[in-house]
Amino acid sequence: MTSESPLLSARLSVDYRNKPGVLKNLCLEIQRGEIVGLVGESGSGKSTLALALLQLLQLKGAKVQGEVVFQGENLLQKKESQLRDIRGRQMSVVLQSPLTSLNPALRIGTQLKEAWRAHANGTGDQCHAAVRAALRSVSLPDSEEFLKRRPSQLSVGQGQRVIIAMAILHRPALLIADEPTSALDTITQSEILSLFARLNRELDMAILYISHDLLSVAALCHRVKGGLSTLNE
Amino acid sequence: MNTPKLRVICASVLCAIFVVGLFAGTVSPYPYAKQFRERPNAAPSSTHLLGTDSLGRDLFARLIYGTRVSLLLAPAAALLATLLAGIFGGLAGLVGGWCEKFILAATDLSMAIPLLFVLLALRALLPLDISPVLSVIATFALLGLLGWPSSLRVVWAATKNLRNCDFLLLARATGCGRWRMIVRHLLPNLRPVLFAQFWISIPVFVLTEATLSMLGLGVIEPLPSWGNLLRGLEDISAVTANPWRLTPLFLLALVVICFQLILPAQEETA
Repeated sequence: MTSESPLLSARLSVDYRNKPGVLKNLCLEIQRGEIVGLVGESGSGKSTLALALLQLLQLKGAKVQGEVVFQGENLLQKKESQLRDIRGRQMSVVLQSPLTSLNPALRIGTQLKEAWRAHANGTGDQCHAAVRAALRSVSLPDSEEFLKRRPSQLSVGQGQRVIIAMAILHRPALLIADEPTSALDTITQSEILSLFARLNRELDMAILYISHDLLSVAALCHRVKGGLSTLNE
Repeated sequence: MNTPKLRVICASVLCAIFVVGLFAGTVSPYPYAKQFRERPNAAPSSTHLLGTDSLGRDLFARLIYGTRVSLLLAPAAALLATLLAGIFGGLAGLVGGWCEKFILAATDLSMAIPLLFVLLALRALLPLDISPVLSVIATFALLGLLGWPSSLRVVWAATKNLRNCDFLLLARATGCGRWRMIVRHLLPNLRPVLFAQFWISIPVFVLTEATLSMLGLGVIEPLPSWGNLLRGLEDISAVTANPWRLTPLFLLALVVICFQLILPAQEETA
């Protein structure tokens, strides 16, 4: 991979068993440190694209064709164990609804530690320190009291920040944000957008920001990749 | 009386009965098989609180030892049944496809045949003169090995619901491995379901054991259980003459009611 080659270059077609042609030859390129906005109306395949890039669609019985070249390697040709090593460490995702994305049975601290342990074998203290640092970087308290809370004890905005903290624990090169502000009020939306901008600046993390909210895309993104329906051939 | 208070009372009653059963050797005034040959069918007295049976054995001592057999082994059988339901129900719900179809077909087949008939048939295959301890083990092993189908259906449905949850998707997206995801992310969410299945299986197994023992195919004499103590009720004239012989029946009903009344509390904690 040369220094000029994109961080991610994807050309994808996705078919569900009962819904063929959800994505047809969709082409997307993201450079290092770039924030790319992807807009499209509801049902145009935005979330499908997010999951297809992470190779998580096969679980839903979808057929993914084409190529997803990430840091010079085609993810479609990788084994599940190799993909597991990439997910969360080099490429992370923030899902739409924090209320359903956090495990209701686990405490916040446990969920963050689990995300850290997926790619690290350090001591408990190292894990604790990494978790606290991630919480601080998303402007959340790093107190024991907060770590012991359950998702039901968080506001929607706090929940979304926890998910972002989980996503950036291993400082991934690419963060896929799948409509991360659609469940939030205007003030929290603005705070989350500022957070993304700061993380991009401080960590040089590329962000694929998927949304149908043109205002937030315009406020955050360096480049907008047009309506998703127009990207489909 | 409000419901939480009633649950506390039921829990206290169950705890007390469990403790008495657990420490039967200490609490009981006599060994369960000790005969007072000069006092068969004795009425309740200060020496024999519930009187004696036709062989002169102290009925209070037999009731306490019977409690131990019935109440300590039913949870063991319920644990085995819930474990089987958890493993195979979870597998069917998670894996799907032919594995799910096969497991559910086997479950439906098992549910189509009444449990009691299967238990009677299988227990009848065993020799009638096996040792009392073996009869206890066989009875509860059969209950555990055959009592899983309805629990499996519930666990399967719960797992299938959870399979497509966003939090499992997110766990996978963070790079979590398959086993870690099952143990650390899925199981904590299935725990209330598994616990509820375990809990409701206990009174079912207590009652089933009582039925089998009443029919002479459960726990074998001289080892007492609530079921074989109730065999004394076959003769209605003995009951009218000795109404205290109904104590095991009263205890059985009390325990089953207590288990049922506590259950909503378990669901609420889910």
